[in-house]
Amino acid sequence: MEQFLQQLTNGLAVGGIYALIALGYTMVYGVLKLINFAHGDLFTYGGYLGLTLLTSLLLQGRLGAVAGVLVLAAMVMGLVGLLGVILERAAYRPLRESPRLSAVVSALGASIFLQNALMLIYGARVQVYPEGILPQTAVSVLGLQIPLMRIVVALVSLVMMAALYLFVQKTKIGTAIRAAAIDQGAARLMGIDVNRVISLVFLIGPALGGAAGLLVGLYYGQVNFTMGWIYGMKAFTAAIIGGIGNIPGAMVGGLLLGVVEALGAAYVSVAWKDAIAFLVLILILIVRPTGLLGERVAEKV
Amino acid sequence: MKNAVRLALALVLGLTAVGTARAADTIKIGLMAPITGSWASEGQEMKRNVELLAAEQNARGGLLGKQVEVVVEDDGGDPRTASLAAQRLTTKGVVAVLGTYGSAVTEASQGIFDEARIIQVANGSTAVRLTEKGLKYLFRTCPRDDEQGRVGAATIERMKAKRIALLHDNSAYSKGLADEIHSLLKAKGANIVFFDALTPKEQDYSAILTKLKAAGPDVVFFTGYYPEAGLLLKQKKQMGWAVPFIGGDAINNPDLVKIAGKEAAAGFMFLSPPVPKDLDTPSAKAYVVSYQKKYGEAPASIYGVLAGDGFRVVAAAIEGSKSSAPDKIREYLVGRLKDFPGFTGRISFNGKGDRVGELYRVYKVDKDGGFVLQP
Repeated sequence: MEQFLQQLTNGLAVGGIYALIALGYTMVYGVLKLINFAHGDLFTYGGYLGLTLLTSLLLQGRLGAVAGVLVLAAMVMGLVGLLGVILERAAYRPLRESPRLSAVVSALGASIFLQNALMLIYGARVQVYPEGILPQTAVSVLGLQIPLMRIVVALVSLVMMAALYLFVQKTKIGTAIRAAAIDQGAARLMGIDVNRVISLVFLIGPALGGAAGLLVGLYYGQVNFTMGWIYGMKAFTAAIIGGIGNIPGAMVGGLLLGVVEALGAAYVSVAWKDAIAFLVLILILIVRPTGLLGERVAEKV
Repeated sequence: MKNAVRLALALVLGLTAVGTARAADTIKIGLMAPITGSWASEGQEMKRNVELLAAEQNARGGLLGKQVEVVVEDDGGDPRTASLAAQRLTTKGVVAVLGTYGSAVTEASQGIFDEARIIQVANGSTAVRLTEKGLKYLFRTCPRDDEQGRVGAATIERMKAKRIALLHDNSAYSKGLADEIHSLLKAKGANIVFFDALTPKEQDYSAILTKLKAAGPDVVFFTGYYPEAGLLLKQKKQMGWAVPFIGGDAINNPDLVKIAGKEAAAGFMFLSPPVPKDLDTPSAKAYVVSYQKKYGEAPASIYGVLAGDGFRVVAAAIEGSKSSAPDKIREYLVGRLKDFPGFTGRISFNGKGDRVGELYRVYKVDKDGGFVLQP
């Protein structure tokens, strides 16, 4: 039982990161019907930019631990969001009217470009965050030793997801995003500037991905330029499990994927962990081809 | 159709002719290395070592009175890219190719070089089967996994561990080494309580560590690479678990300590060929100094230095046999090169192209993050 609970928390921590990245995939897909393969690399940029800002600005010393990390997170999210907007302008907008395949190829190209640019700027070696930025204490919950950072990671992802959900559901701009997702032409007739909506989506999605990258850097202590690939793959899977285009679906899918992986590793085989996770994906898609929460087409974003 | 074939033939012949004509001015030595991809840091070190040594060779007057030119091709650490890189190298008139790092990558290219009669000196490909195929022109400066397996099993036995866990990452190298140790220990009746694989390139290994801990081993042998080893050590410490970890030669990289943190890395042991700082020959010491002068840091990876040793044995063979013909080079490397003073120890090759002699040492990470050679 204790091992089960321990593995459950392991899975939730990993799943929280997957969910944050999955939001970017799902938002872009909802509005543009495009799978933004470069999203995993934007996540990596979050990790690297966080490291650079952290070591060059010395926010910790000036603002204290908590405020320093919050300012750092805001800066990283802003910069990665900006990068997302530039990416959309440069790689996707010129292909808006082209067949969808062209945009997918452009996305793959953007991914390779971003990854190799990162390698050329920072070098191929692993980059390491300075030690002791955040307290390494463990909290005892129900007899389990859970690192404090793990709880912080899970909470931060949940808060961000909830904020995004409320933003999209309750605000006027959120309504515009949903309208553009349903029918771009009709949204334009209603006076919605669809290009601005798309830019906004490419600001929010990558900003959340960048935040996930920063969390990974702060928690695991190291970033490498290829890490976006595997996280991107998993997050994309999570988005599909939950129903691509659906924001709560991405959250559920991410957490579920993390937990299935951890429990699969614990009770079947570590080597088969990914195979089990993808088997679950296939089973879900057989029963529900649109994903767990993907049926309400009219509301997807 | 016939004309097309003739045209193609003429083109190929033409290209070969151009290749040989160019080869007359310089001696070209190829380097096939993972310049990009997930092993890019290893590949870039290989390039640094070989380019530095080539420049030094040229400053001494080159080889056979000609300048040495290094032709670099990127294999991306990927077998498919490697076969294309190998084919490009065969058209460039190189007399020998150094590299590459990964066993699966060398395997994808070794047939191409053998057919083209080009000497290949691998530097990090330790899988046993590579040299068991009877390929005439393949050599390697790194040792083989069966030797590493023997040393690994002996180290575990010396630790008097009763319950042993083996963890690999499912790559050709890592699984091969784990299987080797597994069968050696099993034959001696050891109790192996855990034998499984992790997925490389992930960040979170707490699920695996939780499961490992439940199996209750006295020692864990991880046969994978340093990024995963570093994360395992770091997360093991966060869990408050004190079991000793041992690793294979793919963990010999200072970045291990950076990733794990000094505290978590202290006490970790791994097998490796000796690193330059532990060799007391004057040539190795001088080399580390000149490397530091050129690049601002000491060589980080042993595999870069092994690629450098590959360059030096090829250069010695070309000078010694006064020829750049592949058969002459092979003849020299197998028959006449004995106890060549390499940076990583004395180098001789057997008829299969494998390096002879005991190479593996046991290293331990001290509390300052240094790699200390164990007696």
